[in-house]
Amino acid sequence: MTEPTEFVEDGDELPSTDAASLERLMRFGGGKLLSEMISLFITAAPERIAAARAGLDAGDANAAEMALHSLKSSSAQLGAMKMQRLSEAGERLARTGSLDGVAPIVKDLESEFPRIQQWLERSRTAENPS
Amino acid sequence: MNTIAVVEDNADNRLLLQAILDGLYDVVEYENGVDALAGLTAHLPDLVLLDISLPGMDGNEILARIRADEGLRRLPVIALTAHAMAGDREKYLAAGFNDYITKPIVDETLLLGAMEKWIAASRAGTI
Repeated sequence: MTEPTEFVEDGDELPSTDAASLERLMRFGGGKLLSEMISLFITAAPERIAAARAGLDAGDANAAEMALHSLKSSSAQLGAMKMQRLSEAGERLARTGSLDGVAPIVKDLESEFPRIQQWLERSRTAENPS
Repeated sequence: MNTIAVVEDNADNRLLLQAILDGLYDVVEYENGVDALAGLTAHLPDLVLLDISLPGMDGNEILARIRADEGLRRLPVIALTAHAMAGDREKYLAAGFNDYITKPIVDETLLLGAMEKWIAASRAGTI
């Protein structure tokens, strides 16, 4: 399969993406599954980030934790490693019942998502040339 | 073909499980605990894959209700969870889950192996 170019955040030694996760989805269900999983993620991830922000704004740590938990799992499955790390950190903080520290994490998720969306869309095109 | 009930609120995880189980099992999907408990009673599956983090009734509560129900209590139930903290496995097994698989699913053979094992045990009457 064509390897999408991986990118690394400035000042961040851990990779933002993991192409092996997408190869795994290809193995599980071919280009059709990969394409559908990417579509679902591109729809659901912003909703979950918005739900985390809404939980934050409402002081509802449980709602923020649930949203970040879902986002962590989906991000990991799709190879969005930086989003996974951010969501997991936010989930842990929210679980303590305190929303201190969650706000900058949600902000980072908001800025990371468009990059991941681009990467996923390139990967999908590489697997399913029209 | 054996029937697997998947209880999972996230569409992406349901789609993924459908792909992995396609051709191996019949899959019935439930998005929440209320629907799952009603559906399991109406159509008893061979095994349940149960997400823990569900809105409303969570996976732990659904499991407690399954284990308290005369018609459902012997069902093999595998926890599917992205809560992967140290000691979680023991916690879920102690709660009455037969097995525990973490998300994201990286090695599908772990999931399929656990499913086969518990369906066989259920058939043999050893659980």
